[in-house]
Amino acid sequence: MTARNVIPGPFPAAARPREEARPGPRPDPRAGVEPTLDLRGVTTRFPGEDGPITIVDDVSLSVRPGETLAVVGESGSGKTMTFLSAIGLLPPPGKVVSGQVLLDGTDLLTLSTEELRRHRGSGISMVFQDPLTGLNPVFTIGDQIAEVLRAHKPMSRSEARRRAVELLDRVHIPDPTRRVDDFPHQLSGGMRQRVLIAMAIALEPRVLIADEPTTALDVTVQAQVLELLAELRDEAGMAMVLITHDLGLVARHADRVAVMYAGRVVERGPIEAVFDDTAHPYTVSLFESVPHLDSDSAADLRPIEGQPPNPAFLPAGCAFEARCFLGRGREDCLSRRPALGAAGSGGHEAACHHAAELRKGEGRP
Amino acid sequence: MTMHPGTPAADDTLLQVRGLTKTFGGRSLLPGKAKPVVRAVDGIDFHIRRGETFGVVGETGSGKSTLGRVVLRLLDPTDGQILFDGQDITTMPRSRVRALRRDMQMVFQDPYGSLDPRMKVGQIIAEPMRVHGLARGNLAARTAEIMRQVGLAPHMADRYPHEFSGGQRQRIGIARAMALDPKLLVLDEPVSALDVSIQAQILNLLRDIQRQSGVAYLFIAHDLAVVRHISDRIAVMYLGRVVEMATRDKLYANPRHPYTAALLSAVPIPNLSKERARRRIPLHGEIGSATAMPSGCRFHPRCFKARLVAQRGGVETAAAKDGTVLPAPCVRTDPALAQDSEGQMVACHFPLEGAEAAQATPAAPVRTSGDPA
Amino acid sequence: MTDVATDTAFDGDALRDREGARRRRRQAVRRYLTHPAFMIGGTVLILLGLVAIFAPWIAPNSPLKTNMSLILAGPSWEYPLGTDQYGRCVLSRLIFGTRISLQVAFWVVTISLTLGTFIGALAGYIGGWIERAIVVVIDIVLAFPGFLLALALVAAQGSSLQSVIIAVAIAYTPRVATVMRSVVLTIRPRPFIEASHAIGLGHLRILLRHVVPNAMAPVIVVATVSAATAILAEAGLSFLGLGVQPPTPTWGSVIADGQAVITTNPSISISAGLCIAVTVIALNLLGDGLRDTLDPQMRRQTGAKML
Repeated sequence: MTARNVIPGPFPAAARPREEARPGPRPDPRAGVEPTLDLRGVTTRFPGEDGPITIVDDVSLSVRPGETLAVVGESGSGKTMTFLSAIGLLPPPGKVVSGQVLLDGTDLLTLSTEELRRHRGSGISMVFQDPLTGLNPVFTIGDQIAEVLRAHKPMSRSEARRRAVELLDRVHIPDPTRRVDDFPHQLSGGMRQRVLIAMAIALEPRVLIADEPTTALDVTVQAQVLELLAELRDEAGMAMVLITHDLGLVARHADRVAVMYAGRVVERGPIEAVFDDTAHPYTVSLFESVPHLDSDSAADLRPIEGQPPNPAFLPAGCAFEARCFLGRGREDCLSRRPALGAAGSGGHEAACHHAAELRKGEGRP
Repeated sequence: MTMHPGTPAADDTLLQVRGLTKTFGGRSLLPGKAKPVVRAVDGIDFHIRRGETFGVVGETGSGKSTLGRVVLRLLDPTDGQILFDGQDITTMPRSRVRALRRDMQMVFQDPYGSLDPRMKVGQIIAEPMRVHGLARGNLAARTAEIMRQVGLAPHMADRYPHEFSGGQRQRIGIARAMALDPKLLVLDEPVSALDVSIQAQILNLLRDIQRQSGVAYLFIAHDLAVVRHISDRIAVMYLGRVVEMATRDKLYANPRHPYTAALLSAVPIPNLSKERARRRIPLHGEIGSATAMPSGCRFHPRCFKARLVAQRGGVETAAAKDGTVLPAPCVRTDPALAQDSEGQMVACHFPLEGAEAAQATPAAPVRTSGDPA
Repeated sequence: MTDVATDTAFDGDALRDREGARRRRRQAVRRYLTHPAFMIGGTVLILLGLVAIFAPWIAPNSPLKTNMSLILAGPSWEYPLGTDQYGRCVLSRLIFGTRISLQVAFWVVTISLTLGTFIGALAGYIGGWIERAIVVVIDIVLAFPGFLLALALVAAQGSSLQSVIIAVAIAYTPRVATVMRSVVLTIRPRPFIEASHAIGLGHLRILLRHVVPNAMAPVIVVATVSAATAILAEAGLSFLGLGVQPPTPTWGSVIADGQAVITTNPSISISAGLCIAVTVIALNLLGDGLRDTLDPQMRRQTGAKML
């Protein structure tokens, strides 16, 4: 097992670090390029005991070709539900009640189930967190990749198999001609995630949504898988959405960031703006509540107190008010829900009444 | 806390582990069906002082969770010795181990599965005191006190675990473990199942508890940043072995084992300028299997340093199993954990020196000389 | 640190907490009340229980009294379901028969549940050669059809209400034990069992306080359904004359008596058969209802799916 997986050579292509270290903020090379995926005001509700519960609330996000958009949030923030809504895989009885999901101009929400199925895979596809549940234990990985191919394109068995081997090679699975006949349980977690990625890119989608693709993996494997995704994105000019809770991964891999809290986007913009000129207290707290390799380990962490709000009982004002170091108890935060507003240049926006104060460095704990 | 007789007051060592080994499989009642032997923990030495936090990091399959369980005698060691609070508990009979649980407790990774779903929270926290005959008579008062200590409102004692969030459940797990006022707490990935904003609450709570009670922690985790935050000393495990052991600051500023360096370099930092100046040290292949242990150094099939040393020349080389040319000692000899002049322990034939090590650390980025680009 | 912020949050919670407890109880009650299978099965069984308890007051006649002048009479005010070939009131015999059937069901469930839970939990929890031995014995017992086994046991012991109960209970205990063992096998590796070891609990306490309570839901469902089979078995034994001895009225013996005149007076056997069918269906419905409502795990999963 060990020996077979070793990629020869001192520094294999699979594990090559991302090209040049990128110094400082840079001009947006894709300014003006039409987004591949454009979510506009998507709102998703589930029926609840006391009326409908809004899980995704007026979310607008877009991602352009060759770009990675990171969507950051905790569990329950609606980040996964947003994209399940977008690709029509929302678990029942959830329903998208308003908004548009434009994939190269076509609104996916207006399509029939059959049309949508055709778009999934070739237009847009998704890689999920758990690499084991995504694979059927009784079929070889080759069969499963071939199945995806043949479901969308008429193709002979042998041709599908040949394509499967190519795809395994593309995701840097060593010895793909042999591995294609392996069953999922014969592969490690990292290798399984690679197989799922191979399935997701089999039909050359224009958008790849990766939902916490490495949470279940060890840190060294995590780095390899994310580098693979970046490589595929650059080669094919795919638009990529990386759903994660790890700001470190965002720093390493994203071009733009959207931070979600309680079903809404609370801050979004180019990564330099969000990281170095943070304009929402929740984002600030996210940075400060987690220990980093370079943080002062003698100091106590600053946790975000309390729990995220229950989506069934959202307050009238800002959903973050009760946990906010800046706005707790403030009149406007209690009474009015802040809308996303410009917080600097380059499309940097934040939904906070006191974003200006925060950016000036006032009110920080 | 009571002092056990026979413990010298000056000795602040709480736990001493020597040559600890735990293997699984290998035996079978039916002939010819013996399972392959898995050497989950393979000859480990370390000690933990009173009131200190000893961190253990490692990836899946490193044996770190097994180590925690063997130390607590939740699993019986195959070989080696465990001295806890001055007494040898390696072969202590089960009945006496149970009494020992007053002094050594555990917090589990899974805040959902580790609480009995049919018991009320108050009962869960009171149960250890009940079985060990503590706090008779004022059990309810003591339960309320502990709940308050871990940040739970005492009136929640009548609720069931499923009514709590993950973070609150982990508080319940900590309350149950701390109810007996133990001297050692083994924490097995206590925050990895929690949301990021909640992790900090639990880590701060653990620090506060340690300051107040003087309990020692054996903190097992895969998250290097979390381990760094909470630990005084840290051991890095790979395939059942400790490959490096040092104080927190030394280990993170100056990793000497190639595996530690690679591990550190794989963790991204949420700071743009620092992160963009870093380089990741790639590892070859995947973590080996504990059933088919590599010859020589367990890390050699994945090691970048061994390759660099072989390329640089001047050492006797040998071919590894996959044909790669590596220094002969790496392929043939299992390196022992040895102390360097700085007091850092490393198990490597060619430990990293100064600049080599620094490239993995967050503060000082250095380019890898062998980069193919 | 945490105390200040979290505690203020809790104060508001205290009120909601009491309210919440009341609400949860209401929800639990509602879950049962809105489950049609549970309600129908439960109602029928309660009615049958009342009939059994108040049999002497409800029954229009003595179930044993023969009226030689009215043999095989049709329905009348005095004999609503007519009489059998000995001139006994069929309805009264059915009403008193309820007592035997429910007694058998009750005792069989009690005995097989206790024994089966104990044996199954022991096998599943201890493992090793004890488990293997128990499994072999269970497999051997299960290899015989339950009814045949009961038949053989009654034949060996002589027929009486007690021996019927014991025989049927022995025949059905392995079923409960099998279910119990398999549930325990799924509970044993769960983290809270390891946590119980870690806090220093003994095996017995872990078994009784943590393993068995968490395993009971599916076992209770099986027991409910096995009550139905017990009633069938008792009726079968009585029908063959191996059950409770005549002239004690049981549903099985009413069918047996009616069988002799089934061509001329089919209503005797049919009415007894209906009694059995209704009871068995009611028990199965109850079992279905319990299965759907008892398991908190399943409930939580459906709740979690939503978010």
